[in-house]
Amino acid sequence: MTAQYLSFGVLALVTLWSAYKVVTARLITHAALWMALSFTSVSGIFLMLQQEFIAALQVLIYAGAITTMIIFAIMLSSIREIRVEPQQQTFGQRIRASGLLAVVVGLVFAAFMTYVYYVSEIPKEAVPDPGLLTVRQVGATLFTRFTVPFEVASILLLLAMIGAIILTAKETE
Amino acid sequence: MELPIYFPLGLGALLFGIGLWGALTRTNAVRILMFIELMLNGVNLNLMTFTRYYYPENATGPILTLFVMTVAAAEASIGLAIILQIVRNRGTVEVDKVDLLKG
Repeated sequence: MTAQYLSFGVLALVTLWSAYKVVTARLITHAALWMALSFTSVSGIFLMLQQEFIAALQVLIYAGAITTMIIFAIMLSSIREIRVEPQQQTFGQRIRASGLLAVVVGLVFAAFMTYVYYVSEIPKEAVPDPGLLTVRQVGATLFTRFTVPFEVASILLLLAMIGAIILTAKETE
Repeated sequence: MELPIYFPLGLGALLFGIGLWGALTRTNAVRILMFIELMLNGVNLNLMTFTRYYYPENATGPILTLFVMTVAAAEASIGLAIILQIVRNRGTVEVDKVDLLKG
């Protein structure tokens, strides 16, 4: 079925292009908005994989909460006004600053993983006729088999909240 | 699904690779935080792909992804709080300028 290939191709292109723009965008607020677009299209791929619950969480947590929090932190502080002055540098310094090594590391890693997936022994076809995983099943498993990790995760969130408040509170005598 | 499994797996690996590239080249701390989120997103994509293709009736994969998202949210809030504190004390967000312990 070509519609599947087509929709996956469009979503993958949007994801990769916006992730690339996160790296290369000059303004940090633009980078945050490109990051939100990347998260949204990954949520579309989750929908293609028939994981509605995770797709909704992706939009809520990543595209909603984390992007908003980063933009708030940029806007409410003086990060926005800090400018990087261009400085004179030699050719070797520019090569190092342009991050050629980092590009090579990132892309070699991605190419290596794709190669490993391609040649590995894993079956390439999906399990036929999957029963749809409903939110009810996920919730039932979460509150029976994974109760303790769930509580640990909530304690982690509570500690993160307290830590963020303590770290950003102004010290008063 | 007729889509071969290495298409979404390759997309996850590429997303992780772009995040790694950005985290290694950029020195702005807020931007490094964004790239960590991008890398975690690629990992989530891998998890969901394996869940869909091999264990579609098992709820363990979505739950593991849920925990990854929880840790990502906690890490983003703590990281931003630390960055705001660095900005308040040093007036910079460039991670290579924060080198007081450098020998």
